[in-house]
Amino acid sequence: MERRYPRILFQKRLDELKKDVDKMGQATIKTYQDAVSCFLSYDKELMEEVIQANKDIHLMNYDLEHKTMSVIAAEQPVAGDLRFIEASLKVGSHFKRIAGLASNIAEVAHQIKDEEIPDKPMLDLKHMADIVDGMLSKSLAAFLGMNMNLARELHRDDDKVDDLFDHALKGITTSMFQNKDAISHLVYLLFMARFLERIADRAENIGDRTIFMITCEKRNHLNGKKQ
Amino acid sequence: MEYRIVVEDLNVYFDELHVLKDVNIEIPKNAVTALIGPSGCGKSTFIRTLNRMNDLINTFRMNGTVLLDGKDIYNPKVDVVDLRKKVGMVFQKPNPFPKSIFDNVAYGLRVHGISDKDVLAQKVEDSLKEAALWNEVENILEKSAMGLSGGQQQRLCIARTIAVQPEVILMDEPCSALDPISTTKIEDLIHKLKKDFTIIIVTHNMQQATRVSKYTAFFLHGEIVERGLTEKIFIEPGDQRTEDYITGRFG
Repeated sequence: MERRYPRILFQKRLDELKKDVDKMGQATIKTYQDAVSCFLSYDKELMEEVIQANKDIHLMNYDLEHKTMSVIAAEQPVAGDLRFIEASLKVGSHFKRIAGLASNIAEVAHQIKDEEIPDKPMLDLKHMADIVDGMLSKSLAAFLGMNMNLARELHRDDDKVDDLFDHALKGITTSMFQNKDAISHLVYLLFMARFLERIADRAENIGDRTIFMITCEKRNHLNGKKQ
Repeated sequence: MEYRIVVEDLNVYFDELHVLKDVNIEIPKNAVTALIGPSGCGKSTFIRTLNRMNDLINTFRMNGTVLLDGKDIYNPKVDVVDLRKKVGMVFQKPNPFPKSIFDNVAYGLRVHGISDKDVLAQKVEDSLKEAALWNEVENILEKSAMGLSGGQQQRLCIARTIAVQPEVILMDEPCSALDPISTTKIEDLIHKLKKDFTIIIVTHNMQQATRVSKYTAFFLHGEIVERGLTEKIFIEPGDQRTEDYITGRFG
Protein backbone atom coordinates (compact mmCIF):
# COMPACT_ATOMS: atom_id res chain seq x y z
CA MET A 1 0.00 0.00 0.00
CA GLU A 2 1.52 3.33 -1.00
CA ARG A 3 1.88 6.09 1.55
CA ARG A 4 -0.36 8.97 0.57
CA TYR A 5 0.79 12.54 0.94
CA PRO A 6 -1.81 15.28 0.71
CA ARG A 7 0.85 17.90 -0.16
CA ILE A 8 -0.77 20.26 2.32
CA LEU A 9 1.25 23.35 1.44
CA PHE A 10 0.84 22.86 -2.29
CA GLN A 11 -2.90 22.24 -1.96
CA LYS A 12 -3.20 25.40 0.14
CA ARG A 13 -1.49 27.37 -2.61
CA LEU A 14 -3.83 25.91 -5.23
CA ASP A 15 -6.86 26.78 -3.06
CA GLU A 16 -5.57 30.33 -2.69
CA LEU A 17 -5.20 30.66 -6.45
CA LYS A 18 -8.78 29.52 -6.86
CA LYS A 19 -9.97 32.09 -4.31
CA ASP A 20 -8.03 34.80 -6.13
CA VAL A 21 -9.66 33.92 -9.45
CA ASP A 22 -13.06 33.90 -7.71
CA LYS A 23 -12.43 37.32 -6.19
CA MET A 24 -11.25 38.69 -9.51
CA GLY A 25 -14.23 37.20 -11.32
CA GLN A 26 -16.72 38.63 -8.85
CA ALA A 27 -15.10 42.06 -9.10
CA THR A 28 -15.21 41.88 -12.90
CA ILE A 29 -18.88 40.89 -12.97
CA LYS A 30 -19.77 43.80 -10.66
CA THR A 31 -17.72 46.21 -12.76
CA TYR A 32 -19.52 45.02 -15.88
CA GLN A 33 -22.95 45.34 -14.25
CA ASP A 34 -22.12 48.85 -13.06
CA ALA A 35 -20.91 49.80 -16.53
CA VAL A 36 -24.15 48.60 -18.14
CA SER A 37 -26.22 50.42 -15.49
CA CYS A 38 -24.26 53.54 -16.30
CA PHE A 39 -24.94 53.08 -20.01
CA LEU A 40 -28.67 52.65 -19.48
CA SER A 41 -28.92 55.48 -16.97
CA TYR A 42 -25.86 57.71 -16.81
CA ASP A 43 -24.31 58.32 -13.39
CA LYS A 44 -20.98 60.18 -13.21
CA GLU A 45 -19.96 58.65 -9.89
CA LEU A 46 -20.71 55.15 -11.12
CA MET A 47 -18.69 55.80 -14.27
CA GLU A 48 -15.71 56.85 -12.18
CA GLU A 49 -16.11 53.76 -9.99
CA VAL A 50 -16.04 51.53 -13.06
CA ILE A 51 -12.88 53.17 -14.33
CA GLN A 52 -11.20 52.76 -10.96
CA ALA A 53 -12.41 49.16 -10.65
CA ASN A 54 -10.78 48.37 -14.00
CA LYS A 55 -7.44 49.56 -12.61
CA ASP A 56 -7.93 47.51 -9.45
CA ILE A 57 -8.68 44.41 -11.49
CA HIS A 58 -5.50 44.95 -13.50
CA LEU A 59 -3.56 44.90 -10.22
CA MET A 60 -5.38 41.76 -9.13
CA ASN A 61 -4.26 40.11 -12.35
CA TYR A 62 -0.61 41.06 -11.72
CA ASP A 63 -0.88 39.47 -8.27
CA LEU A 64 -2.41 36.36 -9.76
CA GLU A 65 0.39 36.10 -12.33
CA HIS A 66 3.00 36.53 -9.64
CA LYS A 67 1.42 33.85 -7.45
CA THR A 68 1.11 31.35 -10.30
CA MET A 69 4.77 31.83 -11.22
CA SER A 70 5.76 31.26 -7.60
CA VAL A 71 3.76 28.07 -7.46
CA ILE A 72 5.23 26.82 -10.73
CA ALA A 73 8.79 27.59 -9.62
CA ALA A 74 8.40 26.05 -6.18
CA GLU A 75 6.13 23.10 -6.77
CA GLN A 76 6.82 22.12 -10.41
CA PRO A 77 3.26 21.01 -11.03
CA VAL A 78 2.28 18.50 -13.68
CA ALA A 79 -0.90 16.99 -15.08
CA GLY A 80 -4.19 18.28 -13.61
CA ASP A 81 -2.45 20.69 -11.23
CA LEU A 82 -0.49 22.22 -14.10
CA ARG A 83 -3.61 22.52 -16.25
CA PHE A 84 -5.46 24.25 -13.41
CA ILE A 85 -2.63 26.74 -12.87
CA GLU A 86 -2.33 27.46 -16.57
CA ALA A 87 -6.11 27.90 -16.81
CA SER A 88 -6.08 30.28 -13.83
CA LEU A 89 -3.54 32.46 -15.60
CA LYS A 90 -5.59 32.54 -18.79
CA VAL A 91 -8.90 33.09 -17.02
CA GLY A 92 -7.36 35.96 -15.05
CA SER A 93 -6.20 37.49 -18.29
CA HIS A 94 -9.72 37.19 -19.75
CA PHE A 95 -11.27 38.88 -16.69
CA LYS A 96 -8.72 41.65 -16.93
CA ARG A 97 -9.70 42.26 -20.53
CA ILE A 98 -13.42 42.12 -19.70
CA ALA A 99 -12.87 44.76 -17.02
CA GLY A 100 -11.15 46.88 -19.66
CA LEU A 101 -14.13 46.54 -21.97
CA ALA A 102 -16.46 47.44 -19.09
CA SER A 103 -14.43 50.60 -18.62
CA ASN A 104 -14.89 51.30 -22.36
CA ILE A 105 -18.67 50.89 -21.89
CA ALA A 106 -18.60 53.44 -19.07
CA GLU A 107 -16.76 55.87 -21.37
CA VAL A 108 -19.38 55.32 -24.08
CA ALA A 109 -22.04 56.11 -21.48
CA HIS A 110 -20.26 59.37 -20.77
CA GLN A 111 -20.14 60.25 -24.48
CA ILE A 112 -23.87 59.78 -25.08
CA LYS A 113 -25.15 60.99 -21.72
CA ASP A 114 -26.86 64.06 -23.15
CA GLU A 115 -28.00 62.51 -26.44
CA GLU A 116 -31.38 61.26 -27.58
CA ILE A 117 -30.99 57.54 -28.32
CA PRO A 118 -33.66 55.65 -30.32
CA ASP A 119 -35.56 53.00 -28.33
CA LYS A 120 -35.10 50.07 -30.71
CA PRO A 121 -31.28 49.92 -30.68
CA MET A 122 -31.26 50.53 -26.93
CA LEU A 123 -33.60 47.61 -26.35
CA ASP A 124 -31.44 45.35 -28.52
CA LEU A 125 -28.34 46.39 -26.62
CA LYS A 126 -30.05 45.84 -23.28
CA HIS A 127 -31.06 42.36 -24.37
CA MET A 128 -27.48 41.62 -25.40
CA ALA A 129 -26.19 43.02 -22.11
CA ASP A 130 -28.53 40.77 -20.11
CA ILE A 131 -27.32 37.64 -21.89
CA VAL A 132 -23.69 38.69 -21.47
CA ASP A 133 -24.30 39.25 -17.74
CA GLY A 134 -25.54 35.66 -17.48
CA MET A 135 -22.56 34.41 -19.47
CA LEU A 136 -20.08 36.05 -17.12
CA SER A 137 -21.61 34.45 -14.04
CA LYS A 138 -21.84 31.14 -15.84
CA SER A 139 -18.20 31.24 -16.98
CA LEU A 140 -16.95 31.90 -13.44
CA ALA A 141 -19.17 29.15 -12.01
CA ALA A 142 -18.02 26.72 -14.70
CA PHE A 143 -14.35 27.36 -13.94
CA LEU A 144 -14.63 27.28 -10.13
CA GLY A 145 -16.92 24.25 -10.15
CA MET A 146 -15.09 22.47 -13.02
CA ASN A 147 -18.52 22.17 -14.59
CA MET A 148 -18.34 20.93 -18.17
CA ASN A 149 -22.09 21.38 -18.82
CA LEU A 150 -22.05 25.03 -17.89
CA ALA A 151 -18.89 25.54 -19.91
CA ARG A 152 -20.49 24.01 -23.00
CA GLU A 153 -23.64 26.16 -22.59
CA LEU A 154 -21.50 29.23 -23.15
CA HIS A 155 -21.07 28.26 -26.81
CA ARG A 156 -24.82 28.48 -27.36
CA ASP A 157 -25.04 31.71 -25.39
CA ASP A 158 -22.30 33.24 -27.49
CA ASP A 159 -24.13 32.27 -30.67
CA LYS A 160 -27.19 34.14 -29.35
CA VAL A 161 -25.09 37.22 -28.64
CA ASP A 162 -23.56 37.05 -32.11
CA ASP A 163 -27.06 36.95 -33.64
CA LEU A 164 -28.15 39.90 -31.51
CA PHE A 165 -25.00 41.76 -32.52
CA ASP A 166 -25.92 41.38 -36.20
CA HIS A 167 -29.47 42.47 -35.41
CA ALA A 168 -28.30 45.46 -33.37
CA LEU A 169 -25.90 46.45 -36.14
CA LYS A 170 -28.74 46.55 -38.65
CA GLY A 171 -30.91 48.56 -36.25
CA ILE A 172 -28.20 51.09 -35.51
CA THR A 173 -27.19 51.58 -39.14
CA THR A 174 -30.89 52.01 -40.06
CA SER A 175 -31.16 54.71 -37.41
CA MET A 176 -28.06 56.36 -38.85
CA PHE A 177 -29.59 56.47 -42.31
CA GLN A 178 -32.81 57.86 -40.89
CA ASN A 179 -31.10 60.52 -38.84
CA LYS A 180 -27.77 61.59 -40.26
CA ASP A 181 -27.37 64.35 -37.69
CA ALA A 182 -27.27 61.71 -34.98
CA ILE A 183 -24.46 59.68 -36.55
CA SER A 184 -21.78 61.17 -34.30
CA HIS A 185 -23.40 59.69 -31.19
CA LEU A 186 -25.12 56.69 -32.78
CA VAL A 187 -21.64 55.41 -33.67
CA TYR A 188 -21.08 54.90 -29.93
CA LEU A 189 -23.93 52.39 -29.98
CA LEU A 190 -21.91 50.43 -32.53
CA PHE A 191 -18.97 50.50 -30.14
CA MET A 192 -21.25 49.35 -27.32
CA ALA A 193 -22.52 46.42 -29.39
CA ARG A 194 -18.96 45.52 -30.23
CA PHE A 195 -17.82 45.69 -26.60
CA LEU A 196 -20.68 43.40 -25.55
CA GLU A 197 -19.86 40.96 -28.32
CA ARG A 198 -16.21 40.91 -27.27
CA ILE A 199 -17.11 40.34 -23.61
CA ALA A 200 -19.30 37.41 -24.66
CA ASP A 201 -16.36 35.96 -26.62
CA ARG A 202 -14.14 36.26 -23.56
CA ALA A 203 -16.73 34.50 -21.41
CA GLU A 204 -16.90 31.72 -24.01
CA ASN A 205 -13.09 31.50 -23.95
CA ILE A 206 -13.23 31.00 -20.18
CA GLY A 207 -15.59 28.10 -20.84
CA ASP A 208 -13.23 26.63 -23.44
CA ARG A 209 -10.31 26.99 -21.04
CA THR A 210 -12.33 25.18 -18.38
CA ILE A 211 -13.08 22.32 -20.76
CA PHE A 212 -9.40 22.04 -21.69
CA MET A 213 -8.41 22.10 -18.02
CA ILE A 214 -10.68 19.14 -17.31
CA THR A 215 -10.28 17.04 -20.44
CA CYS A 216 -7.49 18.49 -22.61
CA GLU A 217 -10.19 18.79 -25.27
CA LYS A 218 -9.55 21.68 -27.65
CA ARG A 219 -12.07 23.50 -29.78
CA ASN A 220 -10.95 24.29 -33.30
CA HIS A 221 -12.01 27.88 -33.65
CA LEU A 222 -11.74 27.75 -37.40
CA ASN A 223 -14.50 25.25 -37.81
CA GLY A 224 -16.01 25.01 -34.33
CA LYS A 225 -15.16 21.32 -34.10
CA LYS A 226 -13.76 19.56 -31.04
CA GLN A 227 -10.25 18.10 -31.24
CA MET B 1 8.72 3.45 -35.62
CA GLU B 2 11.72 1.21 -35.06
CA TYR B 3 12.06 -0.56 -31.74
CA ARG B 4 15.40 -1.62 -30.33
CA ILE B 5 13.93 -3.76 -27.55
CA VAL B 6 10.58 -5.53 -27.42
CA VAL B 7 9.40 -7.13 -24.19
CA GLU B 8 6.44 -9.49 -24.29
CA ASP B 9 4.54 -10.99 -21.36
CA LEU B 10 7.51 -10.70 -19.04
CA ASN B 11 7.13 -12.16 -15.57
CA VAL B 12 10.03 -12.15 -13.12
CA TYR B 13 10.23 -14.00 -9.84
CA PHE B 14 12.74 -14.14 -7.03
CA ASP B 15 11.80 -17.43 -5.40
CA GLU B 16 8.06 -17.07 -4.85
CA LEU B 17 8.10 -13.28 -4.98
CA HIS B 18 6.44 -12.15 -8.20
CA VAL B 19 8.30 -8.96 -8.96
CA LEU B 20 7.34 -8.14 -12.55
CA LYS B 21 3.90 -9.04 -13.85
CA ASP B 22 2.92 -9.37 -17.51
CA VAL B 23 5.15 -6.54 -18.64
CA ASN B 24 4.79 -5.56 -22.28
CA ILE B 25 6.76 -2.65 -23.68
CA GLU B 26 8.57 -1.56 -26.83
CA ILE B 27 11.66 0.63 -26.48
CA PRO B 28 12.11 2.95 -29.48
CA LYS B 29 15.52 3.13 -31.12
CA ASN B 30 17.73 6.19 -30.61
CA ALA B 31 15.42 7.79 -28.08
CA VAL B 32 15.32 8.14 -24.31
CA THR B 33 12.69 6.17 -22.42
CA ALA B 34 12.21 7.00 -18.75
CA LEU B 35 10.94 4.47 -16.22
CA ILE B 36 9.22 6.03 -13.22
CA GLY B 37 7.42 4.62 -10.23
CA PRO B 38 7.63 4.37 -6.43
CA SER B 39 10.43 2.53 -4.68
CA GLY B 40 10.13 -1.21 -4.97
CA CYS B 41 7.86 -1.20 -8.00
CA GLY B 42 10.25 -3.20 -10.18
CA LYS B 43 11.94 -0.56 -12.35
CA SER B 44 15.52 -1.56 -11.52
CA THR B 45 14.64 -5.27 -11.74
CA PHE B 46 13.20 -4.58 -15.17
CA ILE B 47 16.27 -2.89 -16.58
CA ARG B 48 18.54 -5.57 -15.11
CA THR B 49 16.42 -8.06 -17.02
CA LEU B 50 17.41 -6.31 -20.24
CA ASN B 51 21.09 -7.19 -19.88
CA ARG B 52 20.65 -10.36 -17.83
CA MET B 53 22.22 -8.87 -14.72
CA ASN B 54 19.52 -10.69 -12.77
CA ASP B 55 21.13 -13.98 -13.82
CA LEU B 56 23.67 -13.27 -11.09
CA ILE B 57 20.94 -13.74 -8.48
CA ASN B 58 20.33 -17.46 -7.99
CA THR B 59 16.66 -17.10 -7.00
CA PHE B 60 15.86 -15.30 -10.26
CA ARG B 61 13.53 -16.87 -12.77
CA MET B 62 11.51 -15.43 -15.60
CA ASN B 63 9.13 -16.23 -18.40
CA GLY B 64 8.19 -14.20 -21.41
CA THR B 65 10.48 -12.80 -24.09
CA VAL B 66 12.97 -9.99 -24.31
CA LEU B 67 13.98 -9.27 -27.88
CA LEU B 68 16.98 -7.14 -28.78
CA ASP B 69 16.81 -6.30 -32.48
CA GLY B 70 14.42 -9.19 -32.90
CA LYS B 71 16.58 -11.77 -31.12
CA ASP B 72 15.64 -13.36 -27.79
CA ILE B 73 18.36 -12.46 -25.27
CA TYR B 74 17.36 -15.37 -23.02
CA ASN B 75 18.10 -17.93 -25.71
CA PRO B 76 20.58 -20.39 -24.08
CA LYS B 77 22.97 -19.83 -27.02
CA VAL B 78 23.34 -16.11 -26.26
CA ASP B 79 26.80 -15.00 -25.14
CA VAL B 80 26.05 -12.97 -22.02
CA VAL B 81 29.38 -11.10 -22.16
CA ASP B 82 28.63 -10.01 -25.69
CA LEU B 83 25.08 -9.06 -24.61
CA ARG B 84 26.44 -6.83 -21.86
CA LYS B 85 28.69 -5.16 -24.42
CA LYS B 86 25.63 -4.37 -26.53
CA VAL B 87 23.49 -3.38 -23.53
CA GLY B 88 25.66 -1.32 -21.22
CA MET B 89 24.75 -0.05 -17.79
CA VAL B 90 25.44 3.02 -15.67
CA PHE B 91 24.61 2.72 -12.00
CA GLN B 92 23.27 5.09 -9.37
CA LYS B 93 26.51 5.39 -7.48
CA PRO B 94 29.47 6.11 -9.77
CA ASN B 95 31.64 2.99 -9.69
CA PRO B 96 34.95 3.64 -11.45
CA PHE B 97 37.50 0.88 -11.13
CA PRO B 98 40.40 1.61 -8.76
CA LYS B 99 42.60 2.18 -11.78
CA SER B 100 43.78 5.11 -13.86
CA ILE B 101 41.31 7.15 -15.88
CA PHE B 102 42.78 5.68 -19.06
CA ASP B 103 42.56 2.09 -17.85
CA ASN B 104 38.94 2.55 -16.74
CA VAL B 105 37.88 3.34 -20.29
CA ALA B 106 40.30 0.87 -21.91
CA TYR B 107 39.26 -2.03 -19.67
CA GLY B 108 36.21 -3.10 -21.67
CA LEU B 109 38.08 -2.67 -24.94
CA ARG B 110 40.86 -4.97 -23.76
CA VAL B 111 38.30 -7.56 -22.57
CA HIS B 112 36.86 -7.54 -26.07
CA GLY B 113 40.24 -8.15 -27.67
CA ILE B 114 41.70 -4.75 -28.50
CA SER B 115 45.36 -4.55 -27.48
CA ASP B 116 46.98 -2.19 -30.00
CA LYS B 117 48.18 0.83 -28.00
CA ASP B 118 47.40 3.43 -30.65
CA VAL B 119 43.92 2.02 -31.26
CA LEU B 120 43.23 1.96 -27.51
CA ALA B 121 44.48 5.52 -27.07
CA GLN B 122 42.26 6.79 -29.87
CA LYS B 123 39.17 4.94 -28.65
CA VAL B 124 39.73 6.16 -25.08
CA GLU B 125 40.05 9.74 -26.33
CA ASP B 126 36.92 9.40 -28.50
CA SER B 127 34.89 7.97 -25.62
CA LEU B 128 36.02 10.62 -23.16
CA LYS B 129 35.18 13.32 -25.72
CA GLU B 130 31.78 11.80 -26.32
CA ALA B 131 31.19 11.72 -22.57
CA ALA B 132 32.13 15.42 -22.35
CA LEU B 133 35.02 14.64 -20.02
CA TRP B 134 38.11 14.84 -22.26
CA ASN B 135 38.85 18.54 -21.66
CA GLU B 136 38.93 17.94 -17.91
CA VAL B 137 41.16 14.86 -17.90
CA GLU B 138 43.32 14.85 -21.06
CA ASN B 139 46.40 15.81 -19.06
CA ILE B 140 45.81 13.43 -16.15
CA LEU B 141 44.84 10.18 -17.88
CA GLU B 142 47.39 8.26 -15.84
CA LYS B 143 45.97 9.52 -12.56
CA SER B 144 43.59 7.42 -10.47
CA ALA B 145 39.92 7.71 -11.35
CA MET B 146 39.17 7.77 -7.62
CA GLY B 147 40.52 11.33 -7.47
CA LEU B 148 37.79 12.69 -9.75
CA SER B 149 34.67 14.42 -8.45
CA GLY B 150 31.36 12.52 -8.31
CA GLY B 151 30.09 14.09 -11.53
CA GLN B 152 33.36 13.39 -13.31
CA GLN B 153 33.36 9.79 -12.09
CA GLN B 154 29.86 9.28 -13.44
CA ARG B 155 30.86 10.71 -16.82
CA LEU B 156 33.87 8.40 -16.74
CA CYS B 157 31.52 5.46 -16.16
CA ILE B 158 29.49 6.61 -19.16
CA ALA B 159 32.70 6.86 -21.24
CA ARG B 160 33.61 3.35 -20.10
CA THR B 161 30.16 2.13 -21.20
CA ILE B 162 30.19 3.77 -24.62
CA ALA B 163 33.81 2.80 -25.37
CA VAL B 164 32.66 -0.70 -26.32
CA GLN B 165 30.02 0.79 -28.63
CA PRO B 166 26.85 -0.57 -27.13
CA GLU B 167 23.50 -0.30 -28.81
CA VAL B 168 21.59 0.36 -25.62
CA ILE B 169 22.58 2.22 -22.47
CA LEU B 170 20.69 1.44 -19.27
CA MET B 171 20.90 4.13 -16.59
CA ASP B 172 19.68 3.38 -13.09
CA GLU B 173 19.18 6.77 -11.39
CA PRO B 174 22.48 8.04 -12.77
CA CYS B 175 22.19 11.49 -11.19
CA SER B 176 20.70 10.78 -7.77
CA ALA B 177 24.11 10.94 -6.06
CA LEU B 178 25.22 14.09 -7.89
CA ASP B 179 24.97 17.84 -7.28
CA PRO B 180 22.71 19.96 -9.53
CA ILE B 181 25.46 21.14 -11.88
CA SER B 182 26.81 17.62 -12.41
CA THR B 183 23.23 16.49 -12.97
CA THR B 184 22.79 19.13 -15.67
CA LYS B 185 26.00 17.98 -17.35
CA ILE B 186 24.82 14.37 -17.36
CA GLU B 187 21.41 15.37 -18.73
CA ASP B 188 23.06 17.39 -21.49
CA LEU B 189 25.20 14.35 -22.23
CA ILE B 190 22.12 12.14 -22.46
CA HIS B 191 20.65 14.54 -25.04
CA LYS B 192 23.83 14.22 -27.06
CA LEU B 193 24.11 10.43 -26.75
CA LYS B 194 20.55 9.64 -27.79
CA LYS B 195 21.42 10.35 -31.43
CA ASP B 196 23.64 7.27 -31.45
CA PHE B 197 22.29 5.10 -28.63
CA THR B 198 18.99 3.84 -27.29
CA ILE B 199 18.76 4.98 -23.67
CA ILE B 200 16.56 3.73 -20.85
CA ILE B 201 16.73 5.72 -17.64
CA VAL B 202 15.24 4.94 -14.27
CA THR B 203 14.59 8.11 -12.30
CA HIS B 204 12.77 9.28 -9.20
CA ASN B 205 13.01 12.85 -10.40
CA MET B 206 9.84 13.70 -12.33
CA GLN B 207 11.32 16.86 -13.73
CA GLN B 208 14.36 14.95 -14.97
CA ALA B 209 12.06 12.49 -16.72
CA THR B 210 10.29 15.37 -18.49
CA ARG B 211 13.59 17.04 -19.39
CA VAL B 212 15.48 14.10 -20.84
CA SER B 213 12.99 11.54 -22.16
CA LYS B 214 10.67 11.33 -25.13
CA TYR B 215 8.82 8.28 -23.77
CA THR B 216 7.89 7.30 -20.23
CA ALA B 217 6.57 4.14 -18.61
CA PHE B 218 5.00 4.22 -15.15
CA PHE B 219 5.55 1.11 -13.04
CA LEU B 220 3.46 0.20 -10.01
CA HIS B 221 3.57 -3.07 -8.06
CA GLY B 222 5.54 -4.74 -10.84
CA GLU B 223 3.18 -3.75 -13.62
CA ILE B 224 3.27 -1.04 -16.23
CA VAL B 225 0.23 1.12 -15.50
CA GLU B 226 0.73 3.54 -18.35
CA ARG B 227 3.28 4.27 -21.05
CA GLY B 228 3.58 6.69 -23.91
CA LEU B 229 4.95 10.05 -24.90
CA THR B 230 6.43 11.81 -21.89
CA GLU B 231 4.62 15.03 -22.73
CA LYS B 232 1.28 13.28 -22.67
CA ILE B 233 1.98 11.35 -19.47
CA PHE B 234 2.92 14.53 -17.62
CA ILE B 235 0.26 16.85 -19.00
CA GLU B 236 -2.67 14.51 -19.54
CA PRO B 237 -2.11 11.12 -17.86
CA GLY B 238 -4.76 8.59 -18.75
CA ASP B 239 -4.76 6.69 -15.46
CA GLN B 240 -5.63 8.22 -12.10
CA ARG B 241 -2.80 6.25 -10.45
CA THR B 242 -0.32 7.89 -12.81
CA GLU B 243 -1.74 11.33 -12.02
CA ASP B 244 -1.59 10.64 -8.28
CA TYR B 245 2.03 9.49 -8.51
CA ILE B 246 3.41 12.23 -10.73
CA THR B 247 1.63 14.95 -8.75
CA GLY B 248 3.25 13.64 -5.60
CA ARG B 249 0.07 12.44 -3.95
CA PHE B 250 1.74 9.13 -3.24
CA GLY B 251 5.21 7.78 -3.45
